[in-house]
Amino acid sequence: MSEKKYAVDSVAPKIDQFLKPLLVRAGFQVKYEAAEGESVNPDFENPEVVVRFSGSDVDLLLANKAEVLLALEYLTMEALRIPSDDHSRISFDAQDYRALRIEELRMSALAAAERVKKTRVPFHFSPMNSRERRIIHLALRDQAEVRSESVGLGPIRQVVVVPSDLKTLPEPIRPPRPRPENDRPRKPFGRDRDRRPPRRR
Amino acid sequence: MKQLIEDIAKALVDIPDEVNVHVVEGEQVTVLELRVAPSDLGKVIGKQGRTARSIRTILGAAGMKLNRRFTLEILE
Repeated sequence: MSEKKYAVDSVAPKIDQFLKPLLVRAGFQVKYEAAEGESVNPDFENPEVVVRFSGSDVDLLLANKAEVLLALEYLTMEALRIPSDDHSRISFDAQDYRALRIEELRMSALAAAERVKKTRVPFHFSPMNSRERRIIHLALRDQAEVRSESVGLGPIRQVVVVPSDLKTLPEPIRPPRPRPENDRPRKPFGRDRDRRPPRRR
Repeated sequence: MKQLIEDIAKALVDIPDEVNVHVVEGEQVTVLELRVAPSDLGKVIGKQGRTARSIRTILGAAGMKLNRRFTLEILE
């Protein structure tokens, strides 16, 4: 990566201005600290500034593949008017989620590659953001028999691993539509099921 | 919660004075209606709706702590 653009001393106050009141308003019991980035996985990411969260609500931030943590990160980048090309220079983290996720993605990429080599059937990853897709692509860059490509647009954009000689890429798999707003679980789950009389033969 | 959405929106747009959040309390759900200047609409929605999705994610998590569901409507 090119030379550093963001220093903790100049970025941290701007982050505080946006993030501090936001966390209070949202009622998230967390605190954070901005520090100079260290390259734990230099092949995969080199953040210049890392914002680490801790506190009792950190699990809430990390639930669902760190959905809330990444949403906070994205909104902070937008609020600070950081151009999207530079978003990866600042990284939000908690409990080493980023490093663990890189490892997880790397392992799944290699497993997918093995499977495609054996079966020659394309493998679809779930939709991911660009940073995560990049990790898959990087993990597979030295593979000869398979290659990875991204297909689909926006929130469904996903990596497919295909045999290297495959000409046309498969269509993206569309995730099932989310449940409608007023959808409620149908009937109690366990109780009634257990009360059902045994079936006669 | 109104204040949360207002703060986020104001930080994202170019004309913060035109940010307005209206709360509609429902039985199950509280709807937060967000209005911004027409020129700022793209700023709160984002490419492929990514900004709006991020705001909704945070709103959802904040609502969970209050045991209440909130929906964000961005009005044109």
